[in-house]
Amino acid sequence: MMTPDFLRQRRGPLTRDLVQTPGHFGLGQVPARLKPASTTTSICGYCATGCQLKVHLDEDGRAINLSPATHYPVNLGMACPKGWQSLDPLDSPDRGTVPLLRDPSGTLQPVDWATAIGTFVDRFRDIHRRHGRDAAAFLSTGQIPLEEMAFLGCLWKSGMGFLHGDANTRQCMATAATAYKQSFGFDAPPYTYADFEESDVIVLVGSNLCIAHPILWQRVARNPRDPRIIVIDPRATETAQSATLHLPLKPKGDLPLYYALAHCILRDGRIDPASVARCDGFDDFAEFVRGFTPESVETSTGIPAATIENLARVVSEPGKRVSWWWTMGVNQSHEGVRTAQAIINLCLLTGNIGKPGTGPNSITGQCNAMGSRLFSNTTSLVGGHDFADPSHRRKVAETLDLPLQSIPSEPSLAYDQILEAAGRGEIKALWIVATNPFHSWIDSSRLAELRENLDFLVVQDMYPDTESARVADLFLPAAGWGEKAGTFINSERRIGTLKPFRQAPGLALTDFRIFRLIARAWGCGDRFERWTDPEAVFRLLRDTTLDRPCDITGIDGYDHIDRCGGIQWPHPAATDPDPPANERRLFADGVYCHPGGKAKLLFSEPARLPEAPDENFPFLLLTGRGSSSQWHTQSRTARSAILRKLCPAGAFVEIHPDDAARLGISEGSDVTLRSRRGEMTVAAYLAPTVQPGQLFLPMHYPEVNRLTHPSFDPHSRQPNYKACAVSIRLV
Amino acid sequence: MPATLQRLPSIPASKARSAPAEEVRTLIDELLAEQKSLQTPVARFSEVHDREPDLAPHYRTLIPLTRPGAGEQYAFEVSLDRCTGCKACVSACHSLNGLDEDESWRDVGTIHGGRDTPGWQQTITTACHHCEDPGCMNGCPVGAYEKDADTGIVRHLDDQCIGCSYCILKCPYDVPKYSKKRGIVRKCDMCHQRLAEGEAPACVQACPTEAIRIIKVPARATVTTDKLFQSTIHDKPSTTGAKRRWPEAIPNPSTTRPTTRYIGREIPTSAVAADRDTLVPQPAHWPLVLMLTLTQAGIGLLLGALPGPPVPSGLRSFSEVGRPAGILAFAALLFSLGMAASVLHLGQPLKAWRFFLGLRTSWLSREILAFSLFAPIPLLLATLPFLPNFPFNSSLALGTSYLALPLGLVAVFTSVMIYHDTRRTSWRFPRTAARFFGSVLSFAALGHLIAAPSRAGLILLATAVIVKMIPEARIARLARDRNAGWSPDLHSSKLQRGPLSRAWNGRVMLTLVAVAIAAIQPWLALPLLLSAELLERQLFFQTVHAPKMPGHAGPARPNHS
Repeated sequence: MMTPDFLRQRRGPLTRDLVQTPGHFGLGQVPARLKPASTTTSICGYCATGCQLKVHLDEDGRAINLSPATHYPVNLGMACPKGWQSLDPLDSPDRGTVPLLRDPSGTLQPVDWATAIGTFVDRFRDIHRRHGRDAAAFLSTGQIPLEEMAFLGCLWKSGMGFLHGDANTRQCMATAATAYKQSFGFDAPPYTYADFEESDVIVLVGSNLCIAHPILWQRVARNPRDPRIIVIDPRATETAQSATLHLPLKPKGDLPLYYALAHCILRDGRIDPASVARCDGFDDFAEFVRGFTPESVETSTGIPAATIENLARVVSEPGKRVSWWWTMGVNQSHEGVRTAQAIINLCLLTGNIGKPGTGPNSITGQCNAMGSRLFSNTTSLVGGHDFADPSHRRKVAETLDLPLQSIPSEPSLAYDQILEAAGRGEIKALWIVATNPFHSWIDSSRLAELRENLDFLVVQDMYPDTESARVADLFLPAAGWGEKAGTFINSERRIGTLKPFRQAPGLALTDFRIFRLIARAWGCGDRFERWTDPEAVFRLLRDTTLDRPCDITGIDGYDHIDRCGGIQWPHPAATDPDPPANERRLFADGVYCHPGGKAKLLFSEPARLPEAPDENFPFLLLTGRGSSSQWHTQSRTARSAILRKLCPAGAFVEIHPDDAARLGISEGSDVTLRSRRGEMTVAAYLAPTVQPGQLFLPMHYPEVNRLTHPSFDPHSRQPNYKACAVSIRLV
Repeated sequence: MPATLQRLPSIPASKARSAPAEEVRTLIDELLAEQKSLQTPVARFSEVHDREPDLAPHYRTLIPLTRPGAGEQYAFEVSLDRCTGCKACVSACHSLNGLDEDESWRDVGTIHGGRDTPGWQQTITTACHHCEDPGCMNGCPVGAYEKDADTGIVRHLDDQCIGCSYCILKCPYDVPKYSKKRGIVRKCDMCHQRLAEGEAPACVQACPTEAIRIIKVPARATVTTDKLFQSTIHDKPSTTGAKRRWPEAIPNPSTTRPTTRYIGREIPTSAVAADRDTLVPQPAHWPLVLMLTLTQAGIGLLLGALPGPPVPSGLRSFSEVGRPAGILAFAALLFSLGMAASVLHLGQPLKAWRFFLGLRTSWLSREILAFSLFAPIPLLLATLPFLPNFPFNSSLALGTSYLALPLGLVAVFTSVMIYHDTRRTSWRFPRTAARFFGSVLSFAALGHLIAAPSRAGLILLATAVIVKMIPEARIARLARDRNAGWSPDLHSSKLQRGPLSRAWNGRVMLTLVAVAIAAIQPWLALPLLLSAELLERQLFFQTVHAPKMPGHAGPARPNHS
């Protein structure tokens, strides 16, 4: 029944708010209010999946909305909520708009750039003069373009003459980088995302892909080969729910598990002789795993021998493509490098490498962790080189037009060693760029103590209210993703571009411009004369990669990258066809990067848990990602109303219902978690998805790392975030 | 922040800063200017206007090829085995529909396996279910909802909405959401504008694993709901003939017959929503608390003070005795304040004149009608004694007082039915009726006591208010049993004893004090009883268990009214 219009208002201002119109640019219908005048593309600034977003622009070239790019080979038109809401954190009223300097009363006061940079230079010069090049360090990030990373690393070492600097990538993929470097001779994740779609068996280790990398799970879901999906994880995560088989492993029980798998595979002769022939150390390894019978590791892994036998058969099935994928469950471990190498060894033994649907594949965390690995000039010399190698130093110095003696021959201290040195008073000043260690570093309460020993702390960030910025002496307001140009490298080695489509608020400058400013003020501007804009720096960096495994000399510039849908390294000018193929993997020829071209089978006796539960601290605490709408310390995601809505309002601890019943803990009741280092009070959440005796805390809350135990992988210096002993008590 | 940071080292004042060189200052200006000039490189490749949407090949199989035929409607189909809980659908809905800052018409929650299948877990994405028999539409007093005849999409007419929020109470899935900024509710329209152009809804486009699609289902099907919403609910073969159990995870669909189909994975009957035990008080709806309490107090006082028709002589006594006239005036005042408060509840009060459009199905329309008819009575009764004599004065007074009781009770009855009709457990007819009529009776007893103080009157008052509290106290007791299985009443009880315990204690204390004071001075008992009843009504709204689709685990954000 139609009622007359005056009785039934079908039109009007409120209705108009939602009217849609063709958006053009391949977008379909869009809200009429948000119809774009043009579009551009940019790689997402959160995780290392590296999704491309299509940014909708108004007449002035300002972003008004965005949607995932459809024709990009990574995400195929999809994005997770963080990507969808990428513009929200830019609009936050909490943005830093002026430099802030702590006054004698201890309050951070707004100052102009001249004062800020003047103070910066004076203080660091003073420290350099009095205490030498070892007395200050920077702590940077995997969240800025590689042009900025390289600028920071080169400015710090070759311009300002300091030695130490590391990045938060130490917290996320140092283990994978070290494992690859030792095993293959170069930090070279060998895969391409298409491998997800081409595997017969997909083994996910310590990876909640569905939540942490939803767009990679999309690739798993697209696999037409009806793959077996095996999830190795102590928790019955969202990913485990979607698996063919979930192995609820004992935390940190994976190393003996993989050695036992190798044991079975060797015992049954299910190896690929051709692949084994391209490895060094086979006999030693075979001898080593002889003792790792499935029965002998039942206790340490918590997995029945029969299941291990079965899994060994599944991952060594001749003719089947088996791919192994790991993330933080492996990387953030006291023996992560050996665990990653145990996985690499399984692939080398069974020939699951260099072919479609195979590989020991580390899925990286941050959007530009891979860029950091090659270009940050921290652990390795810019362009995938060694500080220790004189020929590398000479090559880089020549290419970048830097004085040879300005390139140090010794490596930097690692993150934890920098903080140790600061604790001892040897490092007097820290420059923190786009990261938040006062929240994220393991056993974080020690940073508060250490802060008192620092003469000078600079924090350069988008927000002056992060845990770290609040305790800074000098805060430099930085432009964020969306306000700058540059490139990221994703997990599968794909280089993609970012564009500026928003003005930075107030006096905020891009990190790139801040570095230019500092170079000039420090008096080393002439060394960086050619570092005028990100693309110029990209070309310089490109030239340093010549003849390295990461050779990208075939890339002309940003347009070229965009035209090709991103370019995976390597893309050497001399040998690679152009445009390069869209999905490329490494080691198809079986030639690795060690001298002699062989891979190494590396192993160690499994180590004991650094802090096992005991009488006083009877629970093992696991930490990890809470939800797909939260990113690390939430300095950005918490500024989006939609993302906030998609995650719990505060911290909570997951506890098995049986443990909860025993301790009289009911749903939602407040509990105190205590470790030897600190305590926190949180709401309990009864989750049968965690095992009895274990607790799980999402990592996004600042109190969490007051509990974690500062132990580190000896090879990668990556913190062991995911296992420490705690007690739990009803408040 | 650790206390130690109070003592941060400051920059030594003695150290002279070298003034930045002029060239640095120039560079600063240059860089700031550069930063302010936005020269966004615009996409140069494959950006042709007017071509088909980039994602069309992707979603072509996810929407029907043709529009629904006769006897069919559109429905969402969700493959549970494909949904991983990434929540891209929620963001896409927000972004592609241009919704407000925190607004999205989709949400994602989690179900756990519960007692029988611990460790089992499933994420579940939900938007409007575009029900066959939409509760929102039936409840709307002004016809701001329409079920599209061709597509079956339940559409909300934003410019028709008066912002009464009754649809929110009526929807068992918590779908319509109130926008304070706009003063109306908004909800999912299945992207009908996109479907009309052959494009997929935002959530369908955005799901990385193709878990959401649009299908056509028979409309007004005579088939049971088994074929629809709960198609995947695992029901163990009943050998004992026991009644089938409904998983506590999902509201029972028999009320509104939702059309969404969840397929692909069986849900165990012991499954529970991840947020089932989260104790978040429902919105208090303060204007409604005031409206219900004050109108019922007014009606009660009025009835109590009426000298029981048909005793015409009593009417005369009004003018003779000042006290009843005072009560009547007070009753009229409270009632009118209650009526005024109800207007504050509306986001768009000026549009409320269309209330009659909903009379056929909406108890809210009926309430508005009943109260409009009753409204003059208290005013008449309060003012008549003060008017000079005029023709038919006494018969008007008599007639009005005759009407007061039936019309007053009918008005309160419509109030009861508004809440009963939401099918919420603790708002079922006997309970709501006991509360609302109990209030009327309590104030009637008080009114009578004021008008004609007597021991019997006092006992009547004490009995009325204490008996009224018995059901509330019984609910409150449930939470004492730690082993009690979950029920909506247990949920209410936990709220009453937990986050809302102050309101509950206040409600009890004030009531008892009111009775004690009434023995001394009944007038003084009036504000006390009124306060006690306001708290009772606050608890009525805040402790109710509102059915909804499963939410996520962990601490919840507060509900805003």
